[in-house]
Amino acid sequence: MLLIKQLFFGILLPAIVGGGIFVIARSLSPKAYATARYEKEQDGFASWLIAAALGVGYIVGYLGLEGLPVFPPKLGTHWLFYLAIIGLIVARFWHRAVWGPIAQIAISIIIPRLLLTSTFKHTWGPIEGIIWWVCLAVVTFILWHRVEQSFSTLPSGASSPFVYFVLSGGTALILALSGSLRLAQHCGILVALFAASWMLTLGLQRDRKQFIFPRGASPIMTLLLIGIWMNGYFFAEVPAMSAILLVISPLSSAQVGRIKEVQELGGWRSTLFQIAAAALPVVIAIGIAVIRSGLFGDNNGY
Amino acid sequence: MKIDLGRNRQTSYIGGLVLALLIIGFTGSTQLADAADTYEIDTAHSMILFRAKHNSIAYNYGRFNEFTGKITMDATDISKSMVEFEVKTASVDTANEKRDQHLRSPDFFSAKQFPVITFKSTKVNMKEGEKDMLEVTGDLELLGVKKSITVDVEITGKGKGRQGESLIGFESTFTINRSEFGMTYGVGGPISDDIRLTVAIEAKQG
Repeated sequence: MLLIKQLFFGILLPAIVGGGIFVIARSLSPKAYATARYEKEQDGFASWLIAAALGVGYIVGYLGLEGLPVFPPKLGTHWLFYLAIIGLIVARFWHRAVWGPIAQIAISIIIPRLLLTSTFKHTWGPIEGIIWWVCLAVVTFILWHRVEQSFSTLPSGASSPFVYFVLSGGTALILALSGSLRLAQHCGILVALFAASWMLTLGLQRDRKQFIFPRGASPIMTLLLIGIWMNGYFFAEVPAMSAILLVISPLSSAQVGRIKEVQELGGWRSTLFQIAAAALPVVIAIGIAVIRSGLFGDNNGY
Repeated sequence: MKIDLGRNRQTSYIGGLVLALLIIGFTGSTQLADAADTYEIDTAHSMILFRAKHNSIAYNYGRFNEFTGKITMDATDISKSMVEFEVKTASVDTANEKRDQHLRSPDFFSAKQFPVITFKSTKVNMKEGEKDMLEVTGDLELLGVKKSITVDVEITGKGKGRQGESLIGFESTFTINRSEFGMTYGVGGPISDDIRLTVAIEAKQG
């Protein structure tokens, strides 16, 4: 009975809600994300709706699984709900030249400190805490930048949600292997949302080279992914190397997309290279988590 | 001579008064020490057990291996007594390492984020009509959520140890709903919401 409830609220409902908003956004501005117009069409309502499809879809899934979280947040998972809301707000004015970068810098600095309050208090000394804080803020900032770049460097628009489907799917699997099924469920909401947007793109979009995600989707995607990863590494038992490889995945995908030789390959070859660049670190990260989990040990199935 | 005699008498009165005050003060302080004895929990002879129902079929038991605590017992005025506990969440032990790892995760105790569970009494009373039974009200903090609970505590014994140290024993069994503290994973599914705790304590006078 619980499994049916979890599947409905954690997978099906977010996919329906997120997918529904996604379809409405596409119908409002069907050509908004064509390659040539991508730069000009970042500030429309339809553009924000694409980002909202992810944010609202996640919030619906969260409420279904956990109910309304307390404020101020107590658990690391409570923060995920508020990160989705912050992402939705930031996405609305992301295209503005001044406020976007200011919000990006401020959020990259503030979020690690707030989400890891107890780790700063109980685990790290003052110097160690500052070092971790600086590193996490820098990683969040770079990741955010690269996630945004990845939307327009992937040669096929439809491959963009697929790359993030692979990334979030791998993260969910690693979290489940690392002892936190609750966090895995949260990542499962993202898996459902990326799967829905990928399948809808394949099914409804005639020109599959149109870009799917506006730049305004990067705050929601980055904050939710980094929030889940920080929860997984600092509060669950996600192996350090798996966590690093998950962060590298979107970075390497964007980086490979910028290589001239890969761009010149064109068509499906270039797409395949970039998907492989994103998928390879995820596959290795899963392998490490499988080995570390003792999945084939003696005391399974408790 | 008369004056001298008077001075001697005055001195002896003052001396007597000082002596009397010293005696009263000394006796009084001794009584205070006796009235409010402080005990440290002897973890080698104490146990914190919990019980949860699995799949609504069978009870599974676990324990916490690391905890500390202090008890102040005021025999003359029990309401001045106090209890403080600190339990290390990472020390959860259900005799299955895989399950213990899951219990330490954010699904349950989130041991990295919340390394301790704490209890601090706010009110202690003798339970009316029952011998050696206390009613202890206090704040239980689990997963960062603080809730006031009231539990019955039995004084199981009082006496001397091998080295002549004063010992006191307590036991309490009570039930909490873990979802009230935000521990919602598996509620309504494989693991019961209500968790029965048994706290059996032997404490040594510090």
